Parts: sequence; structure tokens; C-alpha cells
Amino acid sequence: MTSSSRVTLETLSRRRLLQAVPATAIAAGSVGLSDVVSLRADQLRKQGRSVILLWMQGGPSQFETFDPKPGTTNGGPTTAISTAVPGVQIASTWTQTAKVLDKLAIIRSMTNKEGNHQRATYQLHTGYVPAGSVKHPSLGANIAKQLSDPAFELPAVVSTNRTNGAGFLGVDYEPFVVGNPGQLPQNVATTVPVSRYRRRLGLLGRLDGEFAGRGGRVVAGDHQRLYKKSSRMVLSRNVTAFDISGEPDSLKQRYGDNAFGRGCLLARRLVESGVTFVEVHSRGWDTHQDNFDRTTTLAGQVDPALGTLIDDLDSRGLLEKTLVIWMGEFGRSPRVNPQTGRGHYPRAFSVALSGGGVRGGQVIGATTEDGSAVAGDPVSVPDLFCSICHSLNIDPRIERLSPLGRPMKIVDGGQVVEQLFA
Amino acid sequence: MSHSRTIALLAVSLLALPIAGSADQLRAADPAPAADVATRIDRLIDAELTATNATPSPVTSDFDFLRRITLDLSGRLPSPRAITLFGLNPDSDKRVRLVSQLLESSDFSRVQAKYWRDVIFSRATEVRSRLMLPAFEQWMTQQFEERRGWNEIATSLLTASGDVRENGATALIFAQGGSAAELAAETSRIFLGIQIQCANCHDHPTDRWNRTQFHQLAAFFPRVRVRPIRDSSPRSFEVVSLDVNPRSRRSNPFQDSGRIFRQLDRNRDGRLVKREVVNSRLNRVFDRLLEQGDKNKDRGLSLAELRALPQPGNANNRRLDIEHFMPDLENPASRGTQMKPVFFATRGQTAEELSDVKRRQLLADYVTSSSNPWFARSMVNRTWSVLLGEGFSMPIDDLGPEREVTHPDAFKLLCRDFVDNDYDIRRLVQVITGTQAYQRQIRDRDVADSAPPFAATSPTRLRADQLYDSLLAVFGSDVSRRSRGSRSSSGSTQSRRRRSPQGRNLVLSLFGFDPSTPPEDIAGTVPQALFMMNSPLINAMIRAAGNTRLARILERFPDNDEAVSEVYLLVLSREPTANELKICREYLAEVGDRGEAFEDLMWSLVNSSEFLSRR
Repeated sequence: MTSSSRVTLETLSRRRLLQAVPATAIAAGSVGLSDVVSLRADQLRKQGRSVILLWMQGGPSQFETFDPKPGTTNGGPTTAISTAVPGVQIASTWTQTAKVLDKLAIIRSMTNKEGNHQRATYQLHTGYVPAGSVKHPSLGANIAKQLSDPAFELPAVVSTNRTNGAGFLGVDYEPFVVGNPGQLPQNVATTVPVSRYRRRLGLLGRLDGEFAGRGGRVVAGDHQRLYKKSSRMVLSRNVTAFDISGEPDSLKQRYGDNAFGRGCLLARRLVESGVTFVEVHSRGWDTHQDNFDRTTTLAGQVDPALGTLIDDLDSRGLLEKTLVIWMGEFGRSPRVNPQTGRGHYPRAFSVALSGGGVRGGQVIGATTEDGSAVAGDPVSVPDLFCSICHSLNIDPRIERLSPLGRPMKIVDGGQVVEQLFA
Repeated sequence: MSHSRTIALLAVSLLALPIAGSADQLRAADPAPAADVATRIDRLIDAELTATNATPSPVTSDFDFLRRITLDLSGRLPSPRAITLFGLNPDSDKRVRLVSQLLESSDFSRVQAKYWRDVIFSRATEVRSRLMLPAFEQWMTQQFEERRGWNEIATSLLTASGDVRENGATALIFAQGGSAAELAAETSRIFLGIQIQCANCHDHPTDRWNRTQFHQLAAFFPRVRVRPIRDSSPRSFEVVSLDVNPRSRRSNPFQDSGRIFRQLDRNRDGRLVKREVVNSRLNRVFDRLLEQGDKNKDRGLSLAELRALPQPGNANNRRLDIEHFMPDLENPASRGTQMKPVFFATRGQTAEELSDVKRRQLLADYVTSSSNPWFARSMVNRTWSVLLGEGFSMPIDDLGPEREVTHPDAFKLLCRDFVDNDYDIRRLVQVITGTQAYQRQIRDRDVADSAPPFAATSPTRLRADQLYDSLLAVFGSDVSRRSRGSRSSSGSTQSRRRRSPQGRNLVLSLFGFDPSTPPEDIAGTVPQALFMMNSPLINAMIRAAGNTRLARILERFPDNDEAVSEVYLLVLSREPTANELKICREYLAEVGDRGEAFEDLMWSLVNSSEFLSRR
């Protein structure tokens, strides 16, 4: 492998090709030695890139996170602290994140139009606004389709909550939802000893073969493939990646003993084991009332988990190939309402990115002093999605055919925010 | 035409008489019995199959027919007792009689309601509309019980207003959040089988419909709104009409600020304070106005301060528009062109400016008019596809003048019969299930096979409700009881004593799919397989000990072959083949422990592709 440590589409397809080549062919020399070496190097370095999406459900306030405006009317009582990057301040409740800010890029100039939770959630997951006629694949599914290894035993996309699905990309990229992050997912453990489970699978296979012979060949074939995939996961050693109980207590404490903290630790374990896309939810950011108290509580969970995640990924050498995205469906209004809450605000909000080739320690764009508008370098949702694709070496203009035969790009419009990678 | 008018007159006169089953009498008077139409359809299909040298597969056995028809019309598996009785019944007309019987059962209405629930809500763009699922199901069940024609049901769905929890007919409107463009798309897709929304942004790539026509259809809906009902508990929404532009009705307090100021400033001190506005329209916004406009911080607003406040910026707010505008693609920020309602399929339109209710009623009239062929075609194609695993045209909701239709003569005949029978869905189902085409054995279609379909039936996946009700049929009440036990100790048993919806909801959320999707595009998922294989729920129900179905079978049938047959009857609604019996014998011998082996057999059958399939 040469200069680029990234997996290119060429090396990926070669890897797939080699998986299809029997070992005897390699031994007989019909496949070049350099290919075998690159294949092994590929596997050793685990170059498959991955994404961890930290989803702040409800729309996180930029004023109480990455774009504080202390001392202004709109800024409210929120104060700011200095960070690892001179001159860059974030809300003072984010102490752990402040320490790793040199590894984070903040975009303060996100701008969008959707102020409705469902529609904006859909858009920030798929890149498209909802349309009844087609279910757009989530970005996670699109990424998994490009990057995931079909031979891998665990699902390519995992989420701690129900989320947007694979749409027309199909079952292989459908998010696998874990209800209790940190524990084995529901129904993954067998209820009978493994030997009996295997025996049952054998009987099932034989009886299903009978149905296949009586007109159910296609149905039974699909069914067998699905059961093979599912039972491979049940029997896989990798499935322990879902179980965080073996992690050191000190690390668990650092991530935080709550659903989000455990979700982030789970995300690191899954990415480490080869899962392509992990989504972890933090709920409750829809702060129409008591914005300041509630965002303080939420930051108390998300901040240590985020800071620790970046540290942990970095110390394991995983950060360079793992893109961490912190975002929600929109930001919150500059004006503080009489219930000391903030309303929905898509016009100007913040997103944070780390790893995956993103240059940390920088702030992109800014908002006006009252926070009501973007003051420079506006970044649209398609711009953000193009940049995410760029980080993963995916061409955002790849087209997939929708069920009605309409070609749809992974991202329609927008362009890469070059500064992120400069 | 004169015939259907006679029926309508007859129906009116019969309404006055307290006769139960009057609809049946009307059907009995019908000059073309369903069986005759079925025969004519078979003749047309067979002719085409013969012309292409396709060999139709033989008609199903009684076992297979009973399972298929019971799943289709009653949404569950037949009981072993029903299977035995049906097999023993020597009546040569028993299939026809069974269909009539199942069509009259209340299960039929419930199954239909659940199917349409999935059709409408699978494409919901307003997620909160799920709160009205029970209301919709109840309403739709009632429509079928009252034998309302598809035209009447469609009209109700297009014209409904009111509280969504009280009027289930508001489902379609709520599911699309009252959005004119989405309603145009779904109206066309569901009732006409035409995907006109492709013409939303550009002229349709493959059909003759153009962008203007899509937006003319949307122009039937710009005045419908869905809004939360204030202080409702449980929380609810209502579908209402917005016939007057609020911009003109709700006079802007800032437009005539001088007059308002004089009215409210009772003590004439030149400033408005909270106390003075409590009974006025300004009360709700006063705190915000103060916050923004009180320059001298005296907790009051002078006239100058009031006038200096920014004007509310709703000039471009579509929620206030009572007409539909087609966006200008060159200039997206502009308002676009105002559209007049025109129904693209029949070019029906009106010169008058109509209220919301009248617009939607007019659209319903156009959609359900017998001069609009797509209304019948769409429903016939959909129903045929549900019952045969494949439509005359696929996907079922993408018809259109340019689409290929197989067996066009049979399709035309069915459509004619549907219209002539006042869009009676039971009649349609009766005709289709009476055909040999419906009753053919399953067979795999060769990929290279270019012959027209319907020489055989293709197996399709059970819908989630069919699966859940089949699990109930196999395991009896055990499903709901065990689903209580399998959960953690939290939650009171009291609240779960009734046949709990969470067993069904769990299966629905795991196995649900959009029924408009072509069958070959519906794939199983990993969580489904994990649930069937490893869930404590399923594994508790297949136990050989305790009070389970399996335990009772093993007790009643000491002979293994008989017990195997009984398990097959229960789970797969048929006897095992000789080869299957052989596999089971070998397995029993290999395992040694009878109970354990039968548990494994039960597990394998419930996990089999055959159990999950309509075949």
C-alpha cells in the first residue's frame, strides 16, 4: 500500500474479488503475490472506515453547546470556557470536550429550512426532505453499502434507537437496533445450548428444503440466506462486541454510567470489531422550557461521553479512520421565551465533526452577534453530507435506482466543505 | 347503467324494511353470478396461456386451498378441526360455499381494515398520525361491515373533517399532514394507481402526465389543514377547512396600531401595560412584545415603541395560503403560479371558486366517477395482486396509459364487473377467488420465463397481522399470556391481563411492511429471524411440558407418526409428506428424547419459510 491510507474503491473491489478466489488459486499462483500481501495488509490494518453518529434528538441549542454568546440577551445565562484551541470557546458545561477540541472541527454556520422534528430528522439522516413516494436510504445505509464487508458477521449499521432505515437499499443495510446499549441485543443469545441450536438449524434446513422442492425455491432460498446471516451473528465471537461488561470500570465511568455513555462505549467496540456505521442517541434536546437547566443536565451526559470517545478512539489509533459526527435535526431560537425555553431554529445552528481525516481544532463559519443568522461560510445539509462522503472516500454522486426506476444520488447538490480537510 | 340505477332504487326502498342481509338478496338478483364471471376470466387467461405454450399448474388440494383462503379472507390459519371437516366434506361446491361464509364473517372486515391501515400509514409523512391507528381501523372495519362500496369509502377518505380520534376517515389527510402536494400524490397512488407525483418537479419521465396536471390535482387540497386540538386529553388533532385567508381576517394589530393603542390605553397615560391588555388579543404576545420593544425598560409600551416593533414576517408563509401555487423552478424563492383544480384523468374542472369541502367533494366525484377508468383498474389490480401474488400490472400502484398490462381482456372484464356491481369489494373478492387462476398450486417461476403470469401462484410473505394471528391460531391464547411472562418483572400484570396489544404490536413492528411493495422486494430482516429463533416468547410456547399445545398433542398421540402429523396440521395446515415423515423419524431417533425432539420440530416448522408464506 502506498501513500494513501484510505480504502479506495479499487482496493475494495479487489478485496471482494479475492474473497471469491479459492485459496488453491492463490497457492497455484494464479493470483499475484502482491495482491495477497495487500489483502492481508488490508485486513491487518482494518482499513475499512466507519462512522459514529451522535444524534442529539430534539434539536440541540447551539448557544448552550458549540456557539455560546455569553453576555448577550440571546445568549442567556450560559457562560463560555476556553478550550485546547486558543481563541475558541464553547459552553462552559462542556469541560471534557473542551480538552479534546484540538481534535474537533466545529461548524457554526449550518443553515437549513426544516423546522419540523420529523421532517428535519428525516432530512438530516437521508439528505433528502421526505416524500411519500420514496423512502430514501439513510446516509448510514448508503455508507454501509459502499464500505461494509459482506462477509462480516455483525450488521453493517447499528443504532441505539429506532432511526431512518435503508429505504430501497434493502435488508443488508437496515439498521440493527439495540434497545439496551452495552448488553447483548434482544434475541441474540440462544435459549438452548449451542449444540442443540445447531441441530435445530440442521432440521430446519432439511425441512425447508422440502418446501423448496414444492414450488417454494425462491422463498426458501431467501429464507435460508437470512437465517444463515442471522445465525452467523448468533454464533459469532464478534457478538460480544455488543457487551461492554468486560471493559474496565474506570473507562465505563469516564464514558458515563447512563444510556448515552454506554452507547458511546458500545460504538467504539462495534467500530473496532468492524461495524461500519453506529448511531447513538441522546434524547431530550427539545428544550421549549427550562432550556438552561435541561441543557446543563444533558451536557453532563453527552460531554464526558464525547470527550472520552474521541480520546479512546485516538489512543487506539481508530480516530483517523472513524468519523465522529455530533448533530441534531436543527438548532434553537436565539430568543428565550417566557418559559426560559428556546424554540426550533434551522436557520443557524452548529455541527461538530472529529476524526476521519477532518482537521481538528478549527471553527468553520460563524453566526451574527445575536445568533439569528449565519455570518459567513454557510453550510447546507447537502454540503455537510458531501463532506461526510469525502471523509470516507465515497463519491456523493453515485446513483442508485429507486424502486420506480428513478436514479437518485447519495447526495443531491451541495459541495464538500474543503476547509474541513485542509 | 340502467341496471345499477334499478339496484340503487331497490336499495332505497329496502332501507325502509327491517330485513337483515338485504344486500345478499340484491346479489342473488344479479343476472351475472360471480361464478360465471370467474369462468369467463379463466377462459380468457387460459386462452392466453395456451397461446404462449405455458402449462398451468394443477388446482390446489383441499388442504392448500383452505389455508390460502383462510389467510386471505380471515387473516389466520385454519384450525386442525376445520381442516379435517373440510377435507371430509363431499360437497362439490364446498369451496364456493366456504368463500361466501368467510366473506360474511366479521374477520373479513377486520382483515381488510388492517390491510388498508398499512397501505395508508406506511407512506405517512406525518409521524404523529399513528395516534389515530385504532380510530382508523375501527372506522374501516365498520365500512366493510356496512358493505359500503369502494367509491363510498374513497369519498369518505377524501372529504373527511373533524377530530382524528373520532373520525377514522381523516386518516389519509392526517397521514400526509394536510399537505396539498402529498395529498395529491397519495390520492393518485391509492385511488388511481398512478404515480403522478413524479411530475411534481418535472414532467413525468415515462407517462404523459405533466407538471401542471400534478399541481392542478394539488389545487383540490390547499384549504385543508391538520391542527392540534388545544387541551385535548389524550392529545388529538383535527382536520379543518381554511376558507378565508387569515392574513385578511386576522387584522394585523400593527397595521392600525394607533386605533388599538387608543382603545387599550384606558388610563390615557400614553403607555400600554400588561394589566390593560389582559382581555385583548395582545395578551398572549405581550411579554414577547415587551421584551423586544420596551426600549426604556418601563415595563410598558408607548405608541412609538409599538410602531417600532418589527412586522410579523408571514408574507411568504404557505400555511396561510388558501390556494395552491406551482413553484417556479427557475426562481424557487418566488411564490409561483396559482393553480386551478383540474382532475387530470378526466379533465374534470370547475369555473367557480370553491370552498375546501366542496373542492374535496368535487374531487371525490371525479375520482369515483364511472367515466374515470383508473379508479376501478387500480382497485382490481391491487385486489388481484393480493390474492394471486402478482397483479396484471406491477407495481400495483404504478399503472398508467404507458404501462404494460398482462391478460388485458381478463383485466377489463373484472373492472367492468366491479363497476357494474357498484364497487362492491366482497363481490370482487368472490369473483377472483372463484377462478381456477386463484386456486392453482404454487410453482417457482423460471427467471427466463417470458410467458404471462397466472399459470401458477407464487408464494408471498404473510403480512404481519396474518403472522401474528397465525401464531395465535397455532399456540392458542399462549401468545398473549407468554408475552407477559417473557417481559421483565416491571409493569403490572393487571394492565396486561387482556389479550395484550403488545404481543401484536411487537410482531407488527418487527414484521410490518408496506403492502404496496412488490412481493419480490419484501425481504426478511435479521431481527425477525432472531425473534423467531431465540425469543423467550416463541421458545416458551413450543415447550413439550406444561400447558402447551405441543404437550397436549404428545399426550393424546403416543404414536410418533401420528403426533408428527398433528403438529404439521397445526403449524402448516397439512399432512407431512412421506419424505418429511422420514426426516422426522430420523431426527427423533437421533435425539432420543421425545419431548426435546418434538420441541425442535415445532421450532423448525414455526421458523420455516413455509410457515411465513402464503402459498
